[in-house]
Amino acid sequence: MIVLDQASYRYRGTSTWALPPTSLELRPGEVVGVVGANERGKTTLCMVAAGLAPVTIGGELRGRVLIDGRPTVELAGYELAQRCGVLFDNPTVQLTGLHRTVYEEVAFGPCNLGLPVAEVHERTRAALRMLAVEHLAERNPGHLSGGETQLVALAGLLALRPGHLVLDEPTSRLDPDRSLQVADAIARVAEAGVGVLLTEHDEQLVALVSGRVVEL
Amino acid sequence: MAVGVALLTTLAAMRAGRIRRLALAALALTPVAASSLLINVLLPAGGGGLATAVAALLRLLGTTLPLTLLFATTDAPDLLNDLEARGIGRRAVFVLGAALAAVPRAQARAVDVIEAQRARGLDTEGSWRRRLRGVVPLVTPLIIGSLAEVEDRTLALEVRAFGAPGRRTLLHRPPDSGWQRAARWAMAGLAALGLATRAAAVTGH
Repeated sequence: MIVLDQASYRYRGTSTWALPPTSLELRPGEVVGVVGANERGKTTLCMVAAGLAPVTIGGELRGRVLIDGRPTVELAGYELAQRCGVLFDNPTVQLTGLHRTVYEEVAFGPCNLGLPVAEVHERTRAALRMLAVEHLAERNPGHLSGGETQLVALAGLLALRPGHLVLDEPTSRLDPDRSLQVADAIARVAEAGVGVLLTEHDEQLVALVSGRVVEL
Repeated sequence: MAVGVALLTTLAAMRAGRIRRLALAALALTPVAASSLLINVLLPAGGGGLATAVAALLRLLGTTLPLTLLFATTDAPDLLNDLEARGIGRRAVFVLGAALAAVPRAQARAVDVIEAQRARGLDTEGSWRRRLRGVVPLVTPLIIGSLAEVEDRTLALEVRAFGAPGRRTLLHRPPDSGWQRAARWAMAGLAALGLATRAAAVTGH
């Protein structure tokens, strides 16, 4: 479970609080939608909930943020990655660009953990299967459509077997058909017991997949 | 020695079917060769003569051609995978990979920026003055965008557990036959021999 308890955050070198005091709970298998106008702190909320802020990017956090009962500030980046995956709005930067096939790209995370080869294969296949993108396995990651790239980036996160996912406007660069593809994938991930925090401009999409909606 | 390296590279390129690529790389050195000739043969200040100009060109060929052949015959993922299998740290390998991928990424970004600025009415064609005026609105977003992308990619690596301790799992290792290993050792031996010969010539022993 992810818990934000009156968490507020400001970026390094700034005096304003990008995220005002916010409390939120994300339970396993639950999809929580976050809506709000621009500059209300949706992306910052994603960074804080996933622990990237302040663990990776620095800055000042007030209040408490817990992932599975442990304060995010006590966890290293790679430990956070195994507990909470983060999908950014631009999927192309989420792929390494150093792999010849989608399969290798998805396997990148488990390989980073130094897992046995058999387990890397098992996790990679399972992640591709969960998002129904096994057919992309041998494709070049650089030659995918926007929707496919987003799904492959998501598969790369799922291969780390996180208990939670934070999705920062995952459909902002996609057409309606591709957005529905991503929405379908989110529903499937939640069914598998993963808690999903979703920020989106598209309120229809949020209403479609979220069990609960929070407004910033 | 430079002649030997250039010859060996040419033979290897012929075997790999990449001789055209190698010829293009050699052709690209024409301006450098012309300036070297100009300076050493025609200008009194250069003073080296034809032999110096040819030696400089051969050295240049000796360094350029093997690198060209390496990148013409080796996919970046294979190269990175092999380096990691040989014990190079994941960060060093990633930095090399990012450097190799930087040029195509910058090209793609430049195309995006040009299209975006054209859509806003920027004239990037016509006289050289017009083109020059168009450079600033193209370069600024290109540089800022590239810097922002570096930050995004760093975060993206972090969420893929790139900072985990210990060695990464390698899914496969490029084939390395006995013949290839023997060729590598032979080339290392030749390089050592060449260096020793050169050192002996310089010291006069």
